Amino acid sequence: MNLLSLAWKNLWRNRRRTLITLIALSFSLMLLQGSHNLSHGVYSSMIDSGVRAGSGHMVIYQRHYLDSRDEKLTFAPTDLTAEIAALPKVEAVLPRLYLPGLAQSSRESRGILLTGVDPSVEKMLNPFLRKLPASEWFSASDGHEAILGSRLLKELKLKPGQKFVVTMQHQSGELVSDMFRVRGVVATGIKTVDSTLMMVGLDRAAALVGVKGKVHELAIILMDQNAEPQVWPQVKMLLQKRPDIATYSWEEAMPNLYNAIRLDYASSNFIFVILLLIVAIGVVNTLLMSVMERFREFGVILAVGARTVRLRLLILTEALLMGLVAMIVGSCLGALLTWYLVAVGIDMRTFVSETLEFGGVVFDPVLRAAWDLPWMLRISFYLLVLSFLAALYPAIKAGRICPVAAMRHY
Amino acid sequence: MALIELKAVSKIYRVGNQQVAAVQDFSLEVETGEFCVLAGPSGSGKTTLLNLIGCLDRPTSGEVWLAGQDVTRAGEKALADIRLNKIGFIFQAYNLIPVLTAAENAEFTLMLMGMAKKNRRQRVLELFSELGLDGLENRKPADLSGGQQQRVAIVRAMVAEPAVILADEPTASLDSQASEELMILMQKLNRERNATFIFSSHDPLVISHARRVIKLLDGHLEQEL
Repeated sequence: MNLLSLAWKNLWRNRRRTLITLIALSFSLMLLQGSHNLSHGVYSSMIDSGVRAGSGHMVIYQRHYLDSRDEKLTFAPTDLTAEIAALPKVEAVLPRLYLPGLAQSSRESRGILLTGVDPSVEKMLNPFLRKLPASEWFSASDGHEAILGSRLLKELKLKPGQKFVVTMQHQSGELVSDMFRVRGVVATGIKTVDSTLMMVGLDRAAALVGVKGKVHELAIILMDQNAEPQVWPQVKMLLQKRPDIATYSWEEAMPNLYNAIRLDYASSNFIFVILLLIVAIGVVNTLLMSVMERFREFGVILAVGARTVRLRLLILTEALLMGLVAMIVGSCLGALLTWYLVAVGIDMRTFVSETLEFGGVVFDPVLRAAWDLPWMLRISFYLLVLSFLAALYPAIKAGRICPVAAMRHY
Repeated sequence: MALIELKAVSKIYRVGNQQVAAVQDFSLEVETGEFCVLAGPSGSGKTTLLNLIGCLDRPTSGEVWLAGQDVTRAGEKALADIRLNKIGFIFQAYNLIPVLTAAENAEFTLMLMGMAKKNRRQRVLELFSELGLDGLENRKPADLSGGQQQRVAIVRAMVAEPAVILADEPTASLDSQASEELMILMQKLNRERNATFIFSSHDPLVISHARRVIKLLDGHLEQEL
């Protein structure tokens, strides 16, 4: 018998009360881990889908392009595209041009954002284009075929196969026009995108405005979104001789998505803190009750020669043991819940009929979790610390017991 | 030099706005190996005196000396160490820790002293055998009779071989037969191990076993036999 075994035995003195507290602690941990992993999974998939359709995990722009999105701020990638694509953990590099213009059909005209893409790689990586049948995709980079957003097609009162005219400003300042044919239609679920999207071959777009061989964006798609810290310095190294351009993270390039996720994480964390506080109050209550019940016993322990610090240590050890058990049980339950949410997920299609959009990105209506082990370990450790902190007041109170008064206590 | 020396000790409690003198100007000397009783009716100051001797309380005035050391001015940590190393306590209500077995309860003070598990268990089992507690080592207090619990409490008090064993009304919760057996046992330990016992009681049966009787009345020494 030592302090640890005495603390363990004390913990089970009031079996029901300890079990209720342990259940509260374990379930809280399970919910925290499960809900965080679900958010982590949803956000990871959103980021992945967002960056593939948008800026990439990392992106290269002409300096100051992000401040104004001025279409004049183009740059010539030269060999950079191939060099970056050859780096380890880089899946692909997508060169793009973004050009505002006006699309006119025989019946309507609408403002558009013409996106010039490399047809050989874009379709494989852009999640919205993957669903498109091969027959509705174009292969020539300098052709006159275009992919339109579903709303734009409707607003221009066009049908696949029909022609329309695009007018935009040439590099020289002159207005230029060209005719395109609708090859395919894309429905991203994002209203602003679906009503302005027009995708054509990169060479055709560049030729139209007189920026041949130039791009606005080199979107770098990584094989694993966590590989950014390894790839970043290598890309920086390649850009050393190009002071006109700079590398940006997806967070900088897509601030709407990044801020929306940050805001959601912040509100989740606020709820987590409240949950943990409620749990802490439960632990304080349990330990305080346990101390009050053993007032007389503590008096005897002090009378037979225990120092107050040993008594305080006993209470703290009891709390730590409770926290440790809750940490193990809660983490096992949290892992089970996460496993279920990874394998099966939550099907939101029962509740929502439309595509789900968040921060300008569409995400899968079947919400699936992703393992965030460092976070799971961290929150488990916090629970342990919280149990320890919750025991401080009861421990201080126990240490203040006067043995003579305590032994008169019934 | 006396093992225990009380020099003009007074203990005054404050109850509301009133001051109550539990012990007044009390002096006493107890030598090693004595078997003495503090006798007197309720409120005569028996428990207060035991608390003062046992370093559980401090006198309002006067001095308490234990084994040549003035404990009156000792700090809390020092008092805890004195209680652990020099004093054994036997309480009226046994006060065993309910979640521990009889043997674990008995070796509690040795655990506080930091003695290795094997050694302390050996010592406890020797005393268990001497006090007729063989086979009860693994029983919880709730599974023991009052007499057995009090004998476990005696082992707990004696196992660290303290300078003095203080027993506050040790037979108050026992029937007359168990009380008699316990007193004979304590006498035996006093005789064979030269252990010093000071106990309080108002039971004539218990008092009759003492070699020295200190009669108290209203916090004063009334008579010494």
